[in-house]
Amino acid sequence: MIALYFGFVLLIAYDKPLLARKLTPGLSLGILLGALVIVGSWIMTWVYVRWANSHYDTELRRHR
Amino acid sequence: MTPSSAAIGSPLLAAAQVATRIGEPNRVAMAFFFLFIATTLGITWWAARRTKTTEHFYAAGRTVSPGQNGLALAGDYMSAASFLGIAGLVSTTGFDGLIYSTGWLVGWPVVLFLIAEPLRNLGKYTFADVVAFRLRQAPVRMAAAGGTLATVSLYLIAQMVGAGSLIRLMFGISYETAIVIVGAAMIAYVLFGGMIATTWVQIVKAILLLGGATLLAGMVLWRFQLNPAALFAAAAERYGDSVLAPGRLVSKPLDAISLGLALMFGTAGLPHILMRFYTVPDASSARKSVFYATGLIGSFYLLTFVLGFGAMVLVGSEAIRAVEPGGNMAAPLLAELLGGTPFLGFIAAVAFATILAVVAGLTLSGAAALSHDLWVHVVRKDHATAGEQLKVARVATLALGILGVLLGITFKGQNVAFMVGLAFAIAASANFPALVLSIFWRGYTTAGAVTSMLAGTVGALVLIYLSPTVQVDILKNATAWFPLRNPALVTMPASFLLGILVSLLVRKPEEASAFDRLERRMHLGEEIT
Repeated sequence: MIALYFGFVLLIAYDKPLLARKLTPGLSLGILLGALVIVGSWIMTWVYVRWANSHYDTELRRHR
Repeated sequence: MTPSSAAIGSPLLAAAQVATRIGEPNRVAMAFFFLFIATTLGITWWAARRTKTTEHFYAAGRTVSPGQNGLALAGDYMSAASFLGIAGLVSTTGFDGLIYSTGWLVGWPVVLFLIAEPLRNLGKYTFADVVAFRLRQAPVRMAAAGGTLATVSLYLIAQMVGAGSLIRLMFGISYETAIVIVGAAMIAYVLFGGMIATTWVQIVKAILLLGGATLLAGMVLWRFQLNPAALFAAAAERYGDSVLAPGRLVSKPLDAISLGLALMFGTAGLPHILMRFYTVPDASSARKSVFYATGLIGSFYLLTFVLGFGAMVLVGSEAIRAVEPGGNMAAPLLAELLGGTPFLGFIAAVAFATILAVVAGLTLSGAAALSHDLWVHVVRKDHATAGEQLKVARVATLALGILGVLLGITFKGQNVAFMVGLAFAIAASANFPALVLSIFWRGYTTAGAVTSMLAGTVGALVLIYLSPTVQVDILKNATAWFPLRNPALVTMPASFLLGILVSLLVRKPEEASAFDRLERRMHLGEEIT
């Protein structure tokens, strides 16, 4: 997650022309990546919560 | 809309040819606003009868469901800065606003992976409970309360000043009246209804805000065949391709990185957010509530992006700046354009409700630091009766509420936008390092914890004073001693390093051995102790 966001921030900081490139009229790479960072964080929390609430908690219960 | 009548009453608008009723008393806004106040006070009355112990007052009896807590977290987090501020930033600068939206969201996975579960299992009401779990109570709690109060006060100033000017602009009442109304309502919620009322105020506000933003964004996209790319293309056509790429806001690379750090890790150190994890029954619900909150907040930020570009294309950047130079009126102006005065009234009332709910959450977390950390654990050495604890909590609430009103009036007319960034910087450099080190590092000691929290708080305050944000923008000096606009890039690593260094110099074997107890409780929860 940290890598994902800082990859994005570093691109903003050091490679503006790349982010300005347009994929289709109106949609620049920067905007697409920004939206993907948001969607990506959402998916990662979902995966983690699924894993933690099923697998990890069952393991913990066995250790009690 | 009647183009002629708009500009007359308000001198602010006279110069610009903007057709707007912003700044005039708006019946619909008043009606929605009183409806909101009446509903929330009703909730407070209901909650007050259920608030009997400190567990109810600080943690809503730990009975909030994950879905409710997810909504409430979103409510606590989505401040006016993110609604009006980001929409305004996007509408006047384009892409740059996205740095804030993404930064404010990516903090949530950090909260989930590192903080939510240990916090829920180790603490009672405040994050200092966790840091002080195996360290010496008094010094750790004093330092943590310092970090909490610094974060809360700065955030409170930003919200209060924002509330005063927005309400003056939208309802046409005076700045001081607006501040007093906000202060009185927020004191009523927290003082009588504690966390139960605060939680439900957040839930109502989150639903209103998300509903309003969705409706508004839907109306924008309707005009562009429901295709966001067509909207962005229209913006690029009118203002050039540069609005779709990073621009002047982050002209220096290190500034972007420093701001990114503060936004990302600050979330995991915000006292009013952390406190919400105590309201759910267990760690599993704490995790689920982060998932719901991330979804809600993420979709909200995607919506604000549409709102920002929508306002840029439909209202026009120049017109937005003419009404308010900061761009904060972008979303209300867009609402007026698309839905007329009634819709403007609705969005204005939603913005007011947004601020009200955030300041209530802030006040409650500040009161917890004052009463639970300072009074109960430092002054009374954990010998306060349950009744006394509740009484002190209420006195602290009242004191903080009044302080908030006074600060709001003191800072009238000041540019306080930087204070939210500063609050995040302190949270990221004082609260976050201490939390992480105390949970994950056996060797962390009392001296190390106090050093890292003090260094983070004081360092961030001093560096922001020396930064261009204060020296150039506010004091109008030509140069600033410290180059970065946000200090987190320096203060956060410094806080970690100093905490580790001091802990290594002054070793405490008994604190290290208590780490086993912490680890066990952190993973297994409180029933096994």
